[in-house]
Amino acid sequence: MKTLERLVQFFSIYTVALGLLWAVKIVYGFSDYLIPSPLEILQIARQNGLFYVEAVLNTSAVAIAGHMIAIVLATAVGLVGRLNSWPGNLTRIAAYNLQAYPIVAVAPIIFLFLGDGLSSRLLIAAMICYFPLLLSFIGIFAEPVEEVEHFYRITGRINWRLELSIRTFENLDKIITVIVGSGTLAMVGTIVAEFLAASQGIGYVIRKALYQSNLARILVALFLIGLCSSLYLSLIETIGTWIKARLTGE
Amino acid sequence: MNPGKRVYIGILIVWGTLSLCLSGCTSKRNPGSIVYRLKWLYNVSAAGDIWAQEAGIFKAHNLTVDIREGGPEQDAIKDLELGRAQFGVASADQVIRAVAKGAKVVVLAQIFQINPLQWIYAKRNGLIIKRPQDLKGLCIGVTYGGNDEAILISLLRQYRISLDDLKLYAVHYDFNPFWRGEVDLWPVYRNIEGIIFQEKMAKNGEQAGFFNPSTAGIRFVANSLITSKKVYMERPKMVRDFTEAILEGWKAAMDPGLKSRVAEAIHRLDPDTPIPIIEKQIDATRALVIPRGNREIGTIDKRAWEQTRDILLAQGLISHRIDISPLLAGPPP
Repeated sequence: MKTLERLVQFFSIYTVALGLLWAVKIVYGFSDYLIPSPLEILQIARQNGLFYVEAVLNTSAVAIAGHMIAIVLATAVGLVGRLNSWPGNLTRIAAYNLQAYPIVAVAPIIFLFLGDGLSSRLLIAAMICYFPLLLSFIGIFAEPVEEVEHFYRITGRINWRLELSIRTFENLDKIITVIVGSGTLAMVGTIVAEFLAASQGIGYVIRKALYQSNLARILVALFLIGLCSSLYLSLIETIGTWIKARLTGE
Repeated sequence: MNPGKRVYIGILIVWGTLSLCLSGCTSKRNPGSIVYRLKWLYNVSAAGDIWAQEAGIFKAHNLTVDIREGGPEQDAIKDLELGRAQFGVASADQVIRAVAKGAKVVVLAQIFQINPLQWIYAKRNGLIIKRPQDLKGLCIGVTYGGNDEAILISLLRQYRISLDDLKLYAVHYDFNPFWRGEVDLWPVYRNIEGIIFQEKMAKNGEQAGFFNPSTAGIRFVANSLITSKKVYMERPKMVRDFTEAILEGWKAAMDPGLKSRVAEAIHRLDPDTPIPIIEKQIDATRALVIPRGNREIGTIDKRAWEQTRDILLAQGLISHRIDISPLLAGPPP
């Protein structure tokens, strides 16, 4: 149901945006060069649709892989960052400072060392969603849930695993929301990487279309990006809901 | 103070601060001034335009001109259609593509007689490229979707060279594959990066060579002065004066006697490029801008425009054949 809801939301927003664009085109009498006609968009979709679908699937695969890497990394580093000892402090300071750097500025260095292949795209996708995840995870793992933890502390049964389990369980909704939000960032990161230097994926297709001032191609690409993002995000939400249901026994 | 008042004052402070910050972000325009959108950032390819401003040529024609930089996301043709600019610089492929989709623009002058887009290579191991057949077996950098792709594909078709006979490398912002020798030929603007690359190679004891597709008969028109049909019809005097001023600017900028002054003027807007390099860039630009024979700077080469259209049509970059003649209007009489 959530998938359908997300898809309906996406289709509605996309249709309204396109409708507005065409309304502006008609009112001001703009040429097809400035705003493409519906016919041109349909033609592009028919001629290049399959190629664009392949490109967006390629991008989505890299984004999902990057997202997974970021989740695993952020969880591992977040566990260190929750500590009150010096490794924890160092991790927190490093995370707060490093996340301030715009990835677009760092990307050329990544491409210099890793080339324009899969590894660069994967790394940029992972990096762009890693820091928001890490900061949220540190916050969640370091924040005591006093009303629950107090009992175990008093009875001397608290240990770090139990502490983590309580905090994860109590903040499950927050964690799912953060993971869903960072999924969008992973997609954005992959597209930025492709736009900057890759030779594959939908970001690369958009860059080529920009060279040729072809807005019709960009609009088709945006449609497919939105569609894939909506499907992926609803998939994460579904997994999150399923995990929550299993843990709570609802 | 009650909480309601505090909220209002807070909102006012935030709004005031944002307004102050954002006021610096909007591009300022003098009322009554003409907006002229370049194709790219300030560099030697806008030498004549910059000189027309710096030397007061626009003022002498009673014109107040606001020159604005272009770039990949700044399309002069779109600015003309949106009424944000009155004049602009665009390459022939941009103009033809736009006209094929219904944009109403006219060409006033063709600044570059030879397309500056060429391929640089290191003359190592006896490599000298004199004809397209010499490209066989080499790795050639190409910007997919860019002009160089259209030019290269056209060249290969004309000389019946198969894509299997050479290797193509997708060019991005990173030049290292060329420096590492992984790519034999790299697309550059002959008068801009061409000079910088050449200097760098000379420092490393290497001699640079250039492969110029126009020597193989591929004439793909580059920077041209354009305006919208509306401006052309409604303000012919302004269009005439502006075109004259631009061409005067180019004539002066290409005068060897003014080279150092023109270089200084460009350097003021492009401080990252040293003056000696700009001077060399001016020399390279002169060879691309001044037409052969007795023709004037800015002469529109109709046959080259037709060839550009045919290249775009053959490669499916335009959907239908357009008539070039009405497009190449030149300045109003």
